[in-house]
Amino acid sequence: MVRYVTRRLIQMVFLFLVFLTVTWFLLYILPGDSVALKYAGNPNIPPEAREVALERLGLDKPVLIQFRDYMFNFFQGDLGVSFNQYPRPVVDIIAERLPRTLVLFLAALVTYYWAGFLAGKYLAWRRGNRGEMLVTIGGVGLYSMFLPWFAFMMIWLFSVLLDWLPLSKFLDPEQWRDAPFRANQVFMRLFWVTLIASVALFASGFIARQTRSRRLGRTLRWGGGALAVGGFFFYWYGVDSGQVMRVYAGDIGFHMILPVLVLTLINFAGVMLLTRSSMLETLREDYILTARAKGLPERVVRDRHAARTALLPVATSLVLAVATVIDGGVITEAVFSWPGMGEILVSSVLSEDIPLAVGAFSFIGILALIGHFVVDILYGVLDPRIRVTEHG
Amino acid sequence: MTSRRLPLEISAGQARLLEVDGLVMRYDTEAGEVSAVENVSFSLGRGESMGLVGESGCGKTSVALSLLRLAPENARYQSGSVLWEGMDLLELSDQEMREYRWAEISMVFQGAMNAWNPVYRVGEQIREAMDHHFDPPLSTVETSRRMDRLFNLVGLDPAVQNRYPHELSGGMRQRAVIAMALSCEPKLIIADEPTTALDVIVQAQILEELKEIQEDLGLSILYISHDMAVIAQVTDIIGVMYAGKLVEFGSTRDVFHGPRHPYSYLLLSSIPSVTGPRRRPVSLEGTPPNLLAPPAGCRFHPRCPWATEQCRTDEPPMMQIGPSQWAACWNSEQVPEMGEQLP
Repeated sequence: MVRYVTRRLIQMVFLFLVFLTVTWFLLYILPGDSVALKYAGNPNIPPEAREVALERLGLDKPVLIQFRDYMFNFFQGDLGVSFNQYPRPVVDIIAERLPRTLVLFLAALVTYYWAGFLAGKYLAWRRGNRGEMLVTIGGVGLYSMFLPWFAFMMIWLFSVLLDWLPLSKFLDPEQWRDAPFRANQVFMRLFWVTLIASVALFASGFIARQTRSRRLGRTLRWGGGALAVGGFFFYWYGVDSGQVMRVYAGDIGFHMILPVLVLTLINFAGVMLLTRSSMLETLREDYILTARAKGLPERVVRDRHAARTALLPVATSLVLAVATVIDGGVITEAVFSWPGMGEILVSSVLSEDIPLAVGAFSFIGILALIGHFVVDILYGVLDPRIRVTEHG
Repeated sequence: MTSRRLPLEISAGQARLLEVDGLVMRYDTEAGEVSAVENVSFSLGRGESMGLVGESGCGKTSVALSLLRLAPENARYQSGSVLWEGMDLLELSDQEMREYRWAEISMVFQGAMNAWNPVYRVGEQIREAMDHHFDPPLSTVETSRRMDRLFNLVGLDPAVQNRYPHELSGGMRQRAVIAMALSCEPKLIIADEPTTALDVIVQAQILEELKEIQEDLGLSILYISHDMAVIAQVTDIIGVMYAGKLVEFGSTRDVFHGPRHPYSYLLLSSIPSVTGPRRRPVSLEGTPPNLLAPPAGCRFHPRCPWATEQCRTDEPPMMQIGPSQWAACWNSEQVPEMGEQLP
């Protein structure tokens, strides 16, 4: 196992180098450059000024030197400065944008995978009842919806017509005028607290599964769940009482509802159909008959035997989807005016802001690589048949 | 519906453990109604072992699944009963039925590979059955002691319980399946093709062990198989099924030495003998009937060399032939004697 992980890590570093190189050169060979774009068509700017600008950005050096310098700096943690927001460091910009995107899209991802898995599980289990057609047609209908149009319709319905939810942005500027924190502090806090609570929730369910006594299992499941949820609220209302960060965190949460809802409605059907077909396949297996013959309650047959095995392909697609969290939201972020990574991806490429673009893409690359790595490890955990052995 | 129960001399005086009485089961399919089990009656006493033989699709597995009420959702019971110690299992609620499963009747499935859920350890899957059936629940110590005993009983190292199914050989998996079937101390085990996927040596070992276990624990076993050799080796009584119907029933000895239904005769004659005199194996012409529209009269008549006009129109009832032998045939006296001793 240790050898396998080490080998994979070395592979990942190598792959990342290739990815970074290709990305850098692809962006470099785009016709024109940042300076030309900015000064093009303006006759009042003398050529000397352009020369100065090029020199200042280092664009006058030979391409290989530029590349060497970039790579050298990259691995020292220096991603350079943005051409467009000169002289703001790229790391700064990403550090500001990344948490916003992560919080929103991870929340959406978890929600729609959870909803899709549950729906798919029940569809397969109660196959052929009247609800099935309704849910399937509804889900696939939403799945094939054009995202911007659907998002606008939802905004129109919930924000304009009903006035229940905010129109756009991730916070209410009025409320934040005298805020004692920066939004990113709140984002990071929100991210970590939710992450810890979710891990606790998941872990208590996982440990409950391992226990033999049904009563102890139930106590663990509900006790652990209550502790995780209780801990979440205790954090915001108990520990945090002096700083009232919860008001601001609540504001961000309030702004997240609509995008998360839209993404869930659009995406859950994909997960649902995947789960459904995987579960239908599992239900035909002989071990389901064995489980029934053993006199296990239907709920145990469904959840412990069928759904557990049907989870394998769904878990794979979930982890691979994590990699799309950063970039997948280009359109969503634009529609909801959510200033995250999606927006800088587009703008930096269009304005040939090479350091910012390469920096942003490198994070997508890192997440994709980590995602694949996690899939491999997770698959081994979920499916003992392909667990890696020391000599394997 | 003639001749409902078939009391057997060889088990006279014993309390009947299982009585299947005039069982009729149909499958609703898009193509129509498939008559899978047609008026099947038999009974089984404590400690007895019975074999149910027939070609694939003759309804033997449907009968077996009916005993646990595990038939697919499109199965419909039209009439008949499955009496377990006098109680009709077809009348129980789902919850009551669940309590019966495994605790009273357990099953050794065919193709032991697929009988195991690949993601749980072998021991875990056996323990799961015990956890659901012992009331009050067994202590952890008692459970693991019991588990070790089970594994020793079927000739496996108790350490096997910590392995995953894919890590075991076919023979080990089948033994572990038997251990699982024994875990809740059932009175009857249904063994559906218990050794089909195994090589002959392992097959013989496992059958031998099953037989020993059966005698030691006083179990009843219902073997379902298409393999006559297996059935001859391990059963006391035998039922021959054809196209959803029980065509011959009796003590294994009598049926093997003097089959009285043409189908059983042809089936037995198709096995070449190694030790007996040389003879041409008889072949059974034709194919089993389409159960969507089974032939009228005797279902075997299109393939039967002794069929008469009566066979085409009238359904033969089970008729007693000998002290412990019944056959559903109008012309059973015409069926020739077996040419020689069969195993």
